[in-house]
Amino acid sequence: MIIENAQAALPRYCPASDKRTIMMDSDLLVATFVDLADTMVADFDVIDFLHMLTSRSVELLAVSAAGVVLADPRGELRVAAASSEAAGVVELFQIQNDQGPCLECFRTARPVAADLNSPDQRWPRFAESATRAGFRSVHALPMRLRHEVIGALNLFGSGPGPFGPEDLRVGQALADVATIGLLQERSVRRSETAAEQLQAALTSRVIIEQAKGKLAERLSIDMERAFTMLRDYARASNQRITDVARNFVDSAAADFPPSPR
Amino acid sequence: MPDGRHTVLWGLVVARAARHGRPASAGDVCEVAVTSARVSGGWVTVAGGPGPDFLMHVTDPVSEWLADLQLTLGEGPCHDVQISEGLALGSDLGDAQSGRRWPVFAPAAVQRGARAVFAFPLTIGSIRVGVMGLYRDSAGPLPAAQLRDCLLLADTATVLLIEAGSHGVEEAGGGDGAGLPGQSANLALHRAEIDQATGMLTVQLGATAAEAFARLRAYAYAQDRRLADVARDIVARRLRLPPDSPADGDH
Repeated sequence: MIIENAQAALPRYCPASDKRTIMMDSDLLVATFVDLADTMVADFDVIDFLHMLTSRSVELLAVSAAGVVLADPRGELRVAAASSEAAGVVELFQIQNDQGPCLECFRTARPVAADLNSPDQRWPRFAESATRAGFRSVHALPMRLRHEVIGALNLFGSGPGPFGPEDLRVGQALADVATIGLLQERSVRRSETAAEQLQAALTSRVIIEQAKGKLAERLSIDMERAFTMLRDYARASNQRITDVARNFVDSAAADFPPSPR
Repeated sequence: MPDGRHTVLWGLVVARAARHGRPASAGDVCEVAVTSARVSGGWVTVAGGPGPDFLMHVTDPVSEWLADLQLTLGEGPCHDVQISEGLALGSDLGDAQSGRRWPVFAPAAVQRGARAVFAFPLTIGSIRVGVMGLYRDSAGPLPAAQLRDCLLLADTATVLLIEAGSHGVEEAGGGDGAGLPGQSANLALHRAEIDQATGMLTVQLGATAAEAFARLRAYAYAQDRRLADVARDIVARRLRLPPDSPADGDH
């Protein structure tokens, strides 16, 4: 498993433990929720939205990495969006299929925290990998639809200790906004509509991964940079990332951005 | 867990194919899906390049009629999954929501005795090889366990069709898709590295995503390695697959 140096690939935040007790920057908090609400207009891009939400979660909660992990109806956990596309971080979300806070969060429908400094670890294999990647604390906050858990907001911190009550409240609000964005306004009264939309988000993710691979190989860049290029081009040309990615993978030419037709 | 269930379903597909004395095909998968999901019938349409999809397999006359109607109308759950990324689950074609969504198809299907239609795209990301449709003569959603089985079976049918296609064989099942039984029984398809590696291979091989994916699987099989491990090596740029070496995939 290649989890070394995942931390090195991440933006540097210094979530000193004393910061936890300081009031959260309320301007940033307001700006974040206003931005997220602004994004949720008609035909918005779910993947761009979820990616933005994970990036904002990193800033607001002073963690190092955040991911939206969804429960595939096939019975596995899959990443729909992550603040970091670094391979080691994505791996950490994935290995929770076997054990870890995310799996526990799905089973219990409750927030789960893991302090990786503690000598007594409930999920030793997961803790070892996360520690090796440089993380000290992990949170999984449930994305709930009525009584069902459709996913979790998974947060990795390089500072010690679990969230205080305020961080937890903000984190849970972000998880709830992720749920709303994912399932959109359409009558989610029917659980099968939720299943359709979950599957669409997961398929979009696969399309984007394929496009990242093609672009990374074409330009000899890393996956993180490839994602940013796809997203920036999608925004600039007012398209969904998924559509940009699909057109790029489908085209016989490997040019990006695609030459205008 | 999911792996175990996948193995069980793959066993049913292989057993059915063996009874007919031929390699497993997407048609066998469809038959298993009908039984497993406890529905009335099903069909598989296959994307035939730039032209319209063609009907590859049906289990009964009503299924054939439903599949044809959707291809003709350009409307219905199967049409929806062709133009979107998701599933289309029409659990009650008689209700108002279905009436709005499929104004021509839904009432026609109900009149013919189909109260629910479920469409599963046969896709891996941007690779689209077809659609598996199921219908039931009574309304009601697919329970979670049946939905899971259908998604796992759709993955299986997708891989069989990709591999049949990558060997230049017209109809699925004629290829040697069933030549990779160990792999098919342990798909673990949904790993970011596999998708990224597929994208990288399209450039390395000058191939379509479907061809790149087939080559990736063939290589893993020939080397007796897990698909995810080979994909990780490609993503880490420790491994490149050369173009024009079909020997990898021959067995």
